[in-house]
Amino acid sequence: MADRVERLTNLLALLLETTQPLSLIQIAGELRGQYPESQTARRGAFERDKAALREIGVPIEQRIAAGSDAGQTQYWIDRNRYEMHGLDLTADEMRALQVAIAATRPGSSSGQDALWKLGAGVLDQGTTVSAIVPDVAELPALRDAVASRARVGFRYNDVDREVDPWGLLLRAGFWYLIGFDNGRGERRTYRIDRIAGHVVTHADAGSFERPADFDPRDAFPEDPKLIGADPTVPDALVAIDAVRAGHAERELGSERIAERRTDGSIVVSVPCANQPAFRSWVLGYLEHAEVLEPETARADVIAWLEAVVA
Amino acid sequence: MKTARRGPRNAEDRLRRLLVMLPWLMERGEVSVDEAAERFDLTPAEIARELELVAMCGLPPFVDELIDVFIDEGMIFVGVPRLFTRPLRLNAVEAWELLAAGRAAMELPGADPDGPLGRGLAKLATALGDDDTAGVRIDLDRPEAAIGLAAAADAGEEVRITYWSLSRDETSERLILPRQVFADRGQWYVSGDDDRSGEIRTFRIDRIESVEPTGRHPEASDSQLPTPGSWFTDGSIPRVTVRLGPSARWVVERFPVDSVSDADADGWVTATLPIASEPWFARTMVRLGPDAVVVEPSGWGSIGRDAATRVLAHYRRS
Repeated sequence: MADRVERLTNLLALLLETTQPLSLIQIAGELRGQYPESQTARRGAFERDKAALREIGVPIEQRIAAGSDAGQTQYWIDRNRYEMHGLDLTADEMRALQVAIAATRPGSSSGQDALWKLGAGVLDQGTTVSAIVPDVAELPALRDAVASRARVGFRYNDVDREVDPWGLLLRAGFWYLIGFDNGRGERRTYRIDRIAGHVVTHADAGSFERPADFDPRDAFPEDPKLIGADPTVPDALVAIDAVRAGHAERELGSERIAERRTDGSIVVSVPCANQPAFRSWVLGYLEHAEVLEPETARADVIAWLEAVVA
Repeated sequence: MKTARRGPRNAEDRLRRLLVMLPWLMERGEVSVDEAAERFDLTPAEIARELELVAMCGLPPFVDELIDVFIDEGMIFVGVPRLFTRPLRLNAVEAWELLAAGRAAMELPGADPDGPLGRGLAKLATALGDDDTAGVRIDLDRPEAAIGLAAAADAGEEVRITYWSLSRDETSERLILPRQVFADRGQWYVSGDDDRSGEIRTFRIDRIESVEPTGRHPEASDSQLPTPGSWFTDGSIPRVTVRLGPSARWVVERFPVDSVSDADADGWVTATLPIASEPWFARTMVRLGPDAVVVEPSGWGSIGRDAATRVLAHYRRS
C-alpha cells in the first residue's frame, strides 16, 4: 500500500477540489487502490485519516445526504476555512513574534508550527531577556472560548461548573480563569492547573456578554495577604531588621513603613486579616521579622513556631 | 512543554510540515535543497524524500500531476501551483502559542508597545477574534531593577550589585556581568559572570538591593548559561521526601518535584523534592509547620525545627 502521507495528501486534495460533498464510497472510488476493499477496514482507515487531518487543524465539513443517497454522510473542505487569511504581517512584525516565542516558549513545537505558517523560519535559540510562560493543556481551548464568548463546563474542587469565561490571567507563575459561575450566580476565579480533566466548550458562541470594564488584573489582589481579607481588621505592625529592611520596602512599598529606626531596621504596617497568608509571609523572613502587634497575630506566630519545634 | 525534535516522526507530523513547506516553495518557484532543509529543520535527504512523495500524489484523471515539483542538481523547482498555495489556518494551540508568547514578551523589559511586536500582536489578535487585550493578560510583576539589568545584559556592561544571599543570610557587594534576565514561577532572576566566584551565578532580582553600572565592558566567559526554567534536573542535588497536607499543596505546584503520590483519604501527598538550597528548605518547613513532615532522609527533619527555634528565641528575647 502507498505511503500514508501520500494517501492523506490525496484525500486532502480531493476534499479541497471537489465541487460537491462526497461520500466514503465516492472518496474510495476516486482514490482507487488506496483504501482497503473490505467495507469495515475501509471505514476504519478513513476514520483514522479524517482524525489525522482534523488533528493537524484541517476543517472537514460533513452532512447527511438527502435524495437518492439519503442517510449517507458526505464530506468536503471549505477552502476559505482551510486557508489562512487576513494576517499580513510585515517582515519586522513576523521577526518580533519569532523572538517572542523564543523568549517565552522556547522549544515549543506548536510555536514553531505557527511560525512556519506565518512564513517565518526556524526558531532562535535563547534570548537575553526571557520569561517562562507555563503550559497548561486546557489554555488554547479556554482562549478560544473567551474570544468567541462561548460557555464552558469543567470540574473544579469536586463540583461541576458552568462558566462564562471572561478572561485569562497569568500572575505569579500561575494561570487563572476569571468568569461568571452560572451555578453559583457570581463571578469566580479558578486556577487553571487545578481544573480536573478536560474543559468542554458549549457550541453556542456569543452566549454571554462580558462587563464592559472588565480587566482580569482586577480579579483578585496581587498581594495574597489581601485575598479574602476583612478590611475592617486593623493592620499588624512588624519589625524588619536592617538586613532585610530594603527588601521589605521594595516588596511592600514605602507607604507601608510606619517607622524607620536608627539601627536601619523598619516597622511596617501589613494587613493580617487573612491569617494563614500573613503568617506565611512573616515566617518567610525567619528571624529577620518580628510581629509586634496586634497581640493575637503575635500569639498565632509564636504558637505556630512552638508546634514546629515540638 | 513539547520540545521540537529534528525531523517529523509520524504521518501527521510529516503532512503538517509539508503543508507549510509547499506554499513557501510555490511562492519562490526555485529554491536550493539546502536552504529549504535549514528553514524547515530537515536533512536534505528528508526534503528529497518528501518532495518525491508529493510529486507522486494525484487524483484521476491527473494521476501524478497534483503538484508539479522536481529536484535537479540541488535545486527544487515548482511548476504552476494549483493547490496548497496558502498555509493552513492556525489551529487553537498554535494561535494560543503566538498570542501568549507575544503578550508575555510585551511585559519584558525593553518592549515597545508601538514597535513591531505591538503591531504584529494587534494584527494577530484581530485575526483570532480577540477584540481587546482583556481576554488574555500576562502580569509579570517586573521589579524596577530588572530593566537596568536587562539593559546591562544587552550592552555587555558590568554592574556592581549589593545582594542578600539566602544561604549566607548576609548582604554583600559583588561585581557581575549580567548575561540573561528571566522570569520564572513568579520570580525574576539574572544570570551572569560573577567576579567573586569566577563562575556563572544566578541571582534573584528581588534580593538585589542596588545596581550600579561600572562603565566597564569585560569579555564574557565561555561558561554555559543555565537554561531558564530547568535548573533542578541536576542529579547531584540532594532529594528530600516529605508528606504534605492539603494546605501545603502549593509546594508541589510552585517548585520542581521528582514525584508526587496521589492524595490519600485525608488529602495528604508524599512528594520528593530536589533541594538546591538548604536554607530555602528550612524556611519552607517553618512556613508549612504542621502541614509538612519529613519522611527521609530522617536527618533533614531537624532543619525546619532548628530554624523555628532560632525565630522563637528572637520572640522570647523581647
